[in-house]
Amino acid sequence: MARVGGLLVYLRTMAIFALAWYGLSLLVGSRLLLPSPLLVLDAVRQSALDGELLRNAGISLLRLVLAVAVAALTAIPLGIAMGLSRAWRDAFDLLVEMLRPVAGIAWIPLALFIFGIGSRLPIFIMFYSAFFPLVIGTAAGVRNVDARLLAASATMGVTGVTRIRHVVLPAALPAIMVSLRLAVAASWTAVVAAELVGAPSGLGYAIEYYRSMLATPTVMAFIAMIGVLGFLTDAGLRALEARLMPWAKDIRP
Amino acid sequence: MRTLRQLALPLALIVLWEILVALSGSPRAPRPSTTALKAVEMLADGTLLAALATSLGRVFGGFVLATLLAVPLGLAMGTLPVVERNLDPLVESFRPIAAIAILPLVILWIGTGNLAAVTIVAYAAFFPILINTIAGVKRIDRSLIRAARTMGISPLTRLRTVVLPAALPSILVGMRIGLGIAWTAIIAAELAVGAKAGTSGGIGQMMFVFYAYSIQLSGIVVCMAAVGLVAMLLDRGLRALLARAFPWSHP
Repeated sequence: MARVGGLLVYLRTMAIFALAWYGLSLLVGSRLLLPSPLLVLDAVRQSALDGELLRNAGISLLRLVLAVAVAALTAIPLGIAMGLSRAWRDAFDLLVEMLRPVAGIAWIPLALFIFGIGSRLPIFIMFYSAFFPLVIGTAAGVRNVDARLLAASATMGVTGVTRIRHVVLPAALPAIMVSLRLAVAASWTAVVAAELVGAPSGLGYAIEYYRSMLATPTVMAFIAMIGVLGFLTDAGLRALEARLMPWAKDIRP
Repeated sequence: MRTLRQLALPLALIVLWEILVALSGSPRAPRPSTTALKAVEMLADGTLLAALATSLGRVFGGFVLATLLAVPLGLAMGTLPVVERNLDPLVESFRPIAAIAILPLVILWIGTGNLAAVTIVAYAAFFPILINTIAGVKRIDRSLIRAARTMGISPLTRLRTVVLPAALPSILVGMRIGLGIAWTAIIAAELAVGAKAGTSGGIGQMMFVFYAYSIQLSGIVVCMAAVGLVAMLLDRGLRALLARAFPWSHP
């Protein structure tokens, strides 16, 4: 019942928003400056039909998955090592703290020089943006693992990789999942800028391309697609989180 | 001894970088040594500081605007369930859209000047501040509100003397996150405008100009270092400032 009520409120708000937008678009009277919601819906339909919308969304999503996967495979082990061992922390802390404040987006010009225009540039920028939240979150999560758990497992002769797999990783998982969500969000923000400047395909490229063609309704359709996909990836990760560790409800922000 | 261990890896990488570029023989590739010289040159002729000042001015303008809009709205949404229920769908619909994605529309509506830059920054900083303000208000101990109500304090006074101070730590966290995002957004915006639509000024465009028009790319690395340094200083500075102004909160 509460859900139905929530849906109704949602629809009402969005309907009022669409009406206000429609009214404003009539007032402005220019489909270049402010196309009506109907025109944008039509643009969504058309770019869905000719496959442009899904093709570019698929390309951007594939880049996201690749970049985040590489980031997770490198950053999580490094974070675990930094969380567990002082030597690793000493070795990498300064480097991480030096590179982390340099936004991934600030690498775009240098990456243009190194990689040129293509898929490698957005993937690198997205990897870089995802890497640091993951390293820092994992290291903090591992350091916060209850010392008694580590002591108990050591007493029982559980050490090395076994200890990491069966004690450290499960205990730090909630923190790692939170940082994964931050990493995906950061990565998804970076994709638009990276593709806008340095890729021949993807959602960021499409937005810029249709802007230069002065096709404002299509630009808005692609912007909406970015929002929808950003929302869906986060919702997916939330669901994964709830599935993986139903006990950690209170740790989630 | 420990400092040595901490410095070892960054120093080794810098040396490796110098050697690799020297071996590659690429005339455009930046090296640590040329970068250091370029940094001195850019600091001496004032171009770096001028570009940073342009970008920082836009960030502060947008950040102040975002704070002025997001904090009152967040207080309203946090205290009045009716407001929250009705506005939440809009907030949740626009929040996943990154500021840089709306750049084409902003260019269309406002152009590529300072006002457009401030708009992008304000949009970027708005959502973290709003979300954290709402969360901060909702986390307030109910008994505080009830006590204030029992004592017959009017809603507006209650907001100012009970709700706002109690929600402040969370609001400040939102402001810190928002400032960080704003700084990234302005660089992305200046870079994109510089690359696609002409001049924009600021550190972001400066980087793109180095990429597109110079023979030696060490200027880009100087700009990147400046971007990182400013990001760090903004975060530390805001934290120190807020800790000073509101000693009871820990952002």
